[in-house]
Amino acid sequence: MTVALAKRVADEYAAVRESLPADIVSQERRQEAIAALAARGLPTTRDENWRYANLRPLEKARFAPAPAARPQPSAFDLPARLDGFARYVFVDGTFAQPLSSPEEQPGVTVHSPLRAGALAASSTLPEARLALLNEAFATDTAAIHVSGAAGEPARIELLFIAVAGADTGTSYPRVQISLEPASRLILVERHVSAGAGTSFVNCSVDVEVGRGAQLTHYRLQQAGTRATWIDTLSAVLGADARYRLLAVNTGALSARSTAHVQMAGAGAELTLAVAALGDRQQVQDYFALVEHIAPRARTEQSFRGIAAGRARVAFNGKITVREAASGTDSRQSLRGLLAGPEAEIDVRPQLEIYTDEVRCSHGATAGKLDDNMLFYLLSRGLSPEVAQRLLKWAFLEDVVSKIELPALRRQIEHDLAGQMADAASLKELL
Amino acid sequence: MLKIEDLHVRVDGKEILKGLTLTVPTGEVHAVMGPNGSGKSTLANVLAGRPGYEITAGAVTFQGRDLLALAPEERAREGVFLGFQYPVEIPGVNNVYLLKAAVNAVRKHRGLEEVDAFEFLTLVKEKMRLMRMEDGMLSRGVNEGFSGGEKKRNEVLQMLVLEPRLAILDETDSGLDIDALKVVASGVNTLRSPERSLVLVTHYQRLLDYIVPDHVHVLVKGRIARSGDKSLALELERRGYDWVTGEAA
Repeated sequence: MTVALAKRVADEYAAVRESLPADIVSQERRQEAIAALAARGLPTTRDENWRYANLRPLEKARFAPAPAARPQPSAFDLPARLDGFARYVFVDGTFAQPLSSPEEQPGVTVHSPLRAGALAASSTLPEARLALLNEAFATDTAAIHVSGAAGEPARIELLFIAVAGADTGTSYPRVQISLEPASRLILVERHVSAGAGTSFVNCSVDVEVGRGAQLTHYRLQQAGTRATWIDTLSAVLGADARYRLLAVNTGALSARSTAHVQMAGAGAELTLAVAALGDRQQVQDYFALVEHIAPRARTEQSFRGIAAGRARVAFNGKITVREAASGTDSRQSLRGLLAGPEAEIDVRPQLEIYTDEVRCSHGATAGKLDDNMLFYLLSRGLSPEVAQRLLKWAFLEDVVSKIELPALRRQIEHDLAGQMADAASLKELL
Repeated sequence: MLKIEDLHVRVDGKEILKGLTLTVPTGEVHAVMGPNGSGKSTLANVLAGRPGYEITAGAVTFQGRDLLALAPEERAREGVFLGFQYPVEIPGVNNVYLLKAAVNAVRKHRGLEEVDAFEFLTLVKEKMRLMRMEDGMLSRGVNEGFSGGEKKRNEVLQMLVLEPRLAILDETDSGLDIDALKVVASGVNTLRSPERSLVLVTHYQRLLDYIVPDHVHVLVKGRIARSGDKSLALELERRGYDWVTGEAA
């Protein structure tokens, strides 16, 4: 079946390749991506690290890029801007100048395609292969390059809006981030839907954090309730680089994120924190591989997921410590909360260590709300509904508290509160 | 205020309370003492409505209403307060959120408007000074990282803010050093009033030096084995529980 699917991908590519912009991805690389997909096939849920994903939408997907949206969304439909952030808006993966509010920031370029080879190669991991579709079909790129040690970190918001329905094609958000040594960037990357909400989105993000550079990267997946959202992030950290990756996934009907972070420089630091909410029939699946290659790097990984209704929420977090990575310090805290009898939570830590002198700890739990906590709140007069909502809220706090931008944190808190059903009584408490 | 008649309660199929009868009139402070395993905490939990307790016989009325028919949150809104023996930590739920939500739940039940945020905070801080708690504790998670003594003080703080009609304090003295015990006792004493009843569940007589009860009951094997005034507690202290358990056996 996956062979047939790869064949269909190749046919769709052949039909549109002349129209795909060569300055975004060269014809050769697009062709190579198609060839690699044909050789490897597409993933199936029989593959070890895809078992919790919902891959059925792939079978029906139309892989050619969605045509330009008509009408374009209006500025009124967009989430509120964040103070001090330059905003770049992409509709179905293509830059939308009229909706954007670019701002000059010293040492920063955005949306001018990077020179070829400027970025370390994307992940070649089998789990990252859906990014090959993005490579083959991409229509545009948000390419961010930050140089020099400016006083304040650069602040950029990328807003991706999916408009087209899946029947007309796929939208391909594409982000390439390159931080030169000692530079700093705070990036908010947000994915939302407008219109039909049945979009098929395939997002690819490549990140390179140079020596001593610092990237704080907020990723919010708020796609429409009927959307399919596939996402591949690949990052390489240089010596003493700091990367804080905070993801909050609440949207889409089926969502799958793959993150591959390589700790390539000594003393690099990674914080990877993910919160995911699933309700109704949603599938939220996250696979993260952190590879410790160089010595003395540190990883702190946390996941908090809540599954209600008939949703499935999964986090598969793998940490590999290579031979040369002595002095690695990694901590994993993965927790899932079952909020309904028909919901499913899968949290899975995996640890592979090929050297000595490392400190690796992990904890993974999946369970229901704590009865003692619940009774404590009831005994203070709170209704069962409010008490449960408050405890779910508290459960996510470990991740939400890592959001250092107050305005963004408020927006996320309201999004989360909205996700937890009629949250009026909870919002009072915020 | 509170009337318990012939109460029988099972936990995991084992009968713990075996026909307990106790009446606490309005305005009185009653101490329930007893050895470990006598059913003291079971009594406190049953009154607050904790799940997992099977009531096989008997009745409990609170201000003339069937208390056992009410859900835990309804009991709280009617003015029943349980001070927990082991207060739970709830990281991520802010202390002040909880206090405010609790007060508003009671006010809504009584048809009152929500409390004014500023006045509320002023009131809470005043009560915190009484309990010798630092303001910073307000913004922390409920009992999160609190020492044993701080947790107990936080229980009493909640009680002071909620002003219940009936407060049941389950071993609020356990794990307290003498200074903390005095603070907790003085907090509890400020709530004594002709409209309010208190039930102190305790293993030791020590607490009763600071909160002087109107009546003392000794619970043995799921029944009140003996009742008296505060001198009963002193006699127990002197002679030990064997004195009563021997008689009851």
